Amino acid sequence: MHVAALREEIAPATVAVSVPAPQEAGMVRLLTCGSVDDGKSTLIGRLLWDAAGVTEDQRAAIALASHNRVVNGEKIDFSLLLDGLQAEREQGITIDIAWRYFETGDRRFVIIDSPGHEQYTRNMATGASHAAVAILLVDARHGPKRQTRRHAAICDLVGIKKVILAVNKMDLVDFAEARYHKIETEFRAMAGSFGFTEIATIPVAALSGDNVVYRSSNMPWYAGPTLLDYLETVDPKTEPTDAPFRMPVQFVLRASGDFRGYAGTITSGRVRVGERIVDARTGLGATLKRISTMDGDLPSAVKGEAVTLVLDTDLDISRGAVLSELARRPVNADVIEARLVWLSETPFDPESGYLLRTATDLAPVTSMSISALVNFETLASAPAHACNVNDIADCRILLGRSTALDLFRELPLTGNFILVSAIDGATVAGGVITWAQSGAPEVGDNVLVLNRELLARGLCSDLGNSPADIAEFNRRAHEVATLLRSIGVPVLIEI
Amino acid sequence: MTALVSHLKLLEAESIHIFREAAAQFRAPVLLYSIGKDSTVLLHLARKAFWPAKPPFPLLHVDTTWKFRDMIAFRDKTVRDLGLDLIVHTNHDGLARNINPFDHPPSIYTDVMKTVALRQALDAGGFDAAFGGARRDEEASRAKERVFSFRAAGHRWEPRRQRPEMWQLLNGRLGKGETVRVFPLSNWTEGDVWRYIALEKLDVVPLYFAAERPVVTRNDQLIVVDDERMRLEPGEKLEMRKVRFRTLGCWPLTAAIESDATTLDQVVEETLAAKVSERAGRLIDHDQAGAMEMKKREGYF
Repeated sequence: MHVAALREEIAPATVAVSVPAPQEAGMVRLLTCGSVDDGKSTLIGRLLWDAAGVTEDQRAAIALASHNRVVNGEKIDFSLLLDGLQAEREQGITIDIAWRYFETGDRRFVIIDSPGHEQYTRNMATGASHAAVAILLVDARHGPKRQTRRHAAICDLVGIKKVILAVNKMDLVDFAEARYHKIETEFRAMAGSFGFTEIATIPVAALSGDNVVYRSSNMPWYAGPTLLDYLETVDPKTEPTDAPFRMPVQFVLRASGDFRGYAGTITSGRVRVGERIVDARTGLGATLKRISTMDGDLPSAVKGEAVTLVLDTDLDISRGAVLSELARRPVNADVIEARLVWLSETPFDPESGYLLRTATDLAPVTSMSISALVNFETLASAPAHACNVNDIADCRILLGRSTALDLFRELPLTGNFILVSAIDGATVAGGVITWAQSGAPEVGDNVLVLNRELLARGLCSDLGNSPADIAEFNRRAHEVATLLRSIGVPVLIEI
Repeated sequence: MTALVSHLKLLEAESIHIFREAAAQFRAPVLLYSIGKDSTVLLHLARKAFWPAKPPFPLLHVDTTWKFRDMIAFRDKTVRDLGLDLIVHTNHDGLARNINPFDHPPSIYTDVMKTVALRQALDAGGFDAAFGGARRDEEASRAKERVFSFRAAGHRWEPRRQRPEMWQLLNGRLGKGETVRVFPLSNWTEGDVWRYIALEKLDVVPLYFAAERPVVTRNDQLIVVDDERMRLEPGEKLEMRKVRFRTLGCWPLTAAIESDATTLDQVVEETLAAKVSERAGRLIDHDQAGAMEMKKREGYF
């Protein structure tokens, strides 16, 4: 795919030339994880401070507040930039995720700062789910700890592909090259077992700023990039550009002049006007007539764009449907296996009611069981049936009806989910789909395949090619399939 | 969401996604329209999200009666031009008690005329979700805000009871008595807002552009006098200065900055080069430490 050509199609017709809008992969969402002791808040504070993400009045307020707390005898307490809530400032720990923004040159950074302590695994997993790149922080005196492995595992679980190990407090080990290399080797051996596509390691001293934004004169033996250099050049894309097309339907838009369109954000791949697309749940197909936006119609649209698709025939679908390309479709599943992180203080209860919230669908869970708990420090899993807050567990879920979804490792945005309590609406878990079984039968023996030819021969022989006739064609096909399935005859619609 | 689109288009798509999720999941949403630059962007994105239909919710403006006249004129023109539904609500009880920014400390005035007024309006309309233009880059407690920010009965914000939000998945299933504030601009910065206004050629209130205006200097802040209700302290005098606003609120409580920026491009340039954060001009936020967090707990935005 050609970058320049794509951007031409996407850019609105009239762009004010004087506007310095960052372009192409212009936003990097960055997770920072590590514990208070590793100096995480200081590292981010230093990054913001040196990369000009801090304004003058904030600087003055931080300098003033630093006098009221003595932390490691530092002059400036950078962590005050990050610990936003009063409760946290008083406890001196970070318990929630904080979002920070800064930009350098053409690149925008979103820093997602998450707590490192084990009791906040859920917060870390939540923060990590929004990031494309993670900085894992270790203290040069101690090297990777048990929790470093846990952090790496959580990053891997939620789909982060690129990690940076920042070996901090190099000043406290006399900037020793041998010490750094030992940690680097140890970490690469550990991280190799995960699905990361890129692993970088950088020796830093956050307090003094060595190798954060400015190159350290204390570590002439290190020839790699500074932390900021790396962040400014890392490619945050995670998926191949030829991924299959998916658009979960958020909203059915109706407007005057019998306009009817399916509004949603494309979660993967690309779609062009004139292509055949299919509703994965019913198997009904249609041709894409228009890609409508307020800025005018588009000839094609790609992942990340929020659009409204107008089809040549009414598929009679609603929110929760996933529009897909014809060839590579989602699974229409009613049984799934997944790995999840339990977020609620209320433990898993097999008797309690849950709902499975996928991209835009909300399906009732008829039964759910935990099969194993994962120890994220040893990465071993042990058979289990219970699951508590901060646990990482493997589970099996049966749905009350089928829903269209993908495997997370293939298409993350249609392969992830949250579990919602049917009682109070709380979000109790977040998970990734590792296996899914289609409720609809695979084509084979004893399966009736309702295709266009078969239907046109008899049942639909009175119908022509007008939009109303095509809609009626689809309706009849759907109706026949529903009737046959209700008496146990497996049916596959392929029209 | 990584794509070959520029970051403003990415932010735009993310906001549209949030609007559509909220409109699909909540029974009766409303858009809090406060006329400023963030509301301008918010409204524009709402229109994009449901185009060619109109946004499926009304606008709500909480009028403290201390808004600049230019703001009210801009509000009325915008609503008329776009053919939108607007609800204007004032706390008439507060008005009857003559709660005003001169006789009362900012905390009391804000509580009665903004926070209580907002609660009244949301309750009266039976709204279960309210879109707001808050951004995480504005202030420390906002930096931890959710996209769907849950409020317990009485609109109270409990930081510890907020729902975790993973990936792009937004859970709008309400518990008993709960309502939600929805923040589609969560990941926008002040610079993004201005760049987007320039990119989309949006009209904004003229107060954002520098002009000669009558000004009083008070506590090192420049207060623009909008009508005869201004009370001068001994020794204070009105003078004409070339000023503009980075943020708009109630006129005696929102400070202006000296500026020569008279065009959108100049405003964008000045904003991106600014060395002071935008809320420095919001007098109500400096009332006490953790001021915003306190106000939010009470049900302020």
